[in-house]
Amino acid sequence: MLLDYDRLGWLRAALLGFTGLVAAFLLLPVVFIVLLSFGSSRWLAFPPPSWTLKWYGELFADPAWLEAALTSARIAAMAAILAVVVGLLASFALVRGQFRGRNVLRGLLLTPMVLPVVVFAIAIYAFFLRIGLGGTTAGFVIAHTVLALPFAIIPITAALESFDKSIEDAAIVCGASPFEAKLRVTLPAIKIGIFSAAIFAFLASWDEVVVAIFMASPTSQTLPVKIWGSLRQDLSPVIAAASSLLVLLTLCLMIVTALIRRKLSK
Amino acid sequence: MSGNLLHRPSILRRPDGIGGALPALTLIALFFVVPVLALLLRSVTEPVPGLHNYATLFGDGTYARVFFNTFLVATVVTAVTVVVAFPVAWMLAIMPPALGSIVFGIIILSMWTNLLTRTYAWMVLLQRTGVINRTLMDIGLISEPLPLINNLTGVTIGMVYIMLPFMILPLVGTLRAIDPMTLRAAALCGASPFDAFRRILLPLSLPGIAAGGLMVFVMSLGYFVTPTLLGGISNMMLAAMIAQMIQSLLNWGLGSAAAFILLLVTMALYALQLRLVGARRMTGGI
Repeated sequence: MLLDYDRLGWLRAALLGFTGLVAAFLLLPVVFIVLLSFGSSRWLAFPPPSWTLKWYGELFADPAWLEAALTSARIAAMAAILAVVVGLLASFALVRGQFRGRNVLRGLLLTPMVLPVVVFAIAIYAFFLRIGLGGTTAGFVIAHTVLALPFAIIPITAALESFDKSIEDAAIVCGASPFEAKLRVTLPAIKIGIFSAAIFAFLASWDEVVVAIFMASPTSQTLPVKIWGSLRQDLSPVIAAASSLLVLLTLCLMIVTALIRRKLSK
Repeated sequence: MSGNLLHRPSILRRPDGIGGALPALTLIALFFVVPVLALLLRSVTEPVPGLHNYATLFGDGTYARVFFNTFLVATVVTAVTVVVAFPVAWMLAIMPPALGSIVFGIIILSMWTNLLTRTYAWMVLLQRTGVINRTLMDIGLISEPLPLINNLTGVTIGMVYIMLPFMILPLVGTLRAIDPMTLRAAALCGASPFDAFRRILLPLSLPGIAAGGLMVFVMSLGYFVTPTLLGGISNMMLAAMIAQMIQSLLNWGLGSAAAFILLLVTMALYALQLRLVGARRMTGGI
């Protein structure tokens, strides 16, 4: 009866209680950081003596924060677009291709997700120093595209695998060119996968710290690098304010994702 | 003329070739494989050709301690994550969807929130004068603040926090795939709930536990951010040591050698995981 929710008896209460505790544990830092950002104590005393918006004021008064956020957004957007386009093309080959070593190729393209980022970070750092891409936006975008590629390929191949290819064939039989059939039949059918790919690829770059620490230069500093730098100095409440805005962004992203998925799957 | 309608134009019979994968392959070859191989080469050529970098890494007690620390933390984190994740995944697999979607929402929110944000929150929560120590002292459980940060306790708490979603989500899939009838049958045949758990539910979910556990272990081995911020200098882990060798000490030979060891261990475990679950199943996590 262990997999019957209604017949678990006392065990259900225990498991539900435990699940609640774990959910609270997962929620704790996120809620805590938002509350902290409105607290007046510079020393992060909690509960705070009074509430204030001054950390948000300090955050917006320092143009470096906004600049870092814009740099991050620009790099993440470019990396996400590149990763989705390259990943989409690769997914067709991975799902439908019939060639030797297909599984090896799939494994290779997914490796950047598995290899510890620090190894890739120092490797690409050394490589870019040698070929003159060190500290450039182009270098940043290329490195992040490599890291984002697996996150684009996984949802797209999954969507493509569950798509019935005979529908695309039907379009071709009805006179569409193979390209047209892919563009107007297959792509709309797998758009949820492509959309997930874009979100995951964007987040992979937007949140990336390790490569960014090595690649960062005074002129191109992403938001995680800016936070990292501040964290190493002190635990200023301004970081809490910046973090809260990131939590807000995550929430927006979750809501948009849910809405679009609901709309697309109709 | 037989089967004229079923005769597919030749264009349909031509499967997609490797062509579409060429841009991705080029990207990965040029900006992933080549740089990593070049790094590997540096580990045996700098400052002079030979294996002395590896000899130094294996011969020196300081480095041995870092390797030991890294494996210890990864093992503890994996064990704790599995034990905590299993009951949650179990409930999520059978919960009414309305209740389950709240828990799923919290898991996704935690997972998608910026990594540094979450780590920063734990740095503040766990510090000497932080909320956790203050609360424990207020309710009289402890009289002195517990050392929760700049040690392995802090790293473990922070890492378990980050790894939990990666363990829970795939496990839910595994548990949902188990037919509840098998457990009903066990109950009908007189098995106690404990027996049913030990002899049916646990063995059937073992592939998911192994796959998720291996993934958590591999990710923990090479993790940089959280151990660096929560562990302090005296508890350095491998990834932080590699970064330090390159960034501060500019010792490319030694840093590359350490990176290569991390790469070898990771890839070996990755291969093991692929054998356990197959490339298909692995990608079900997202």
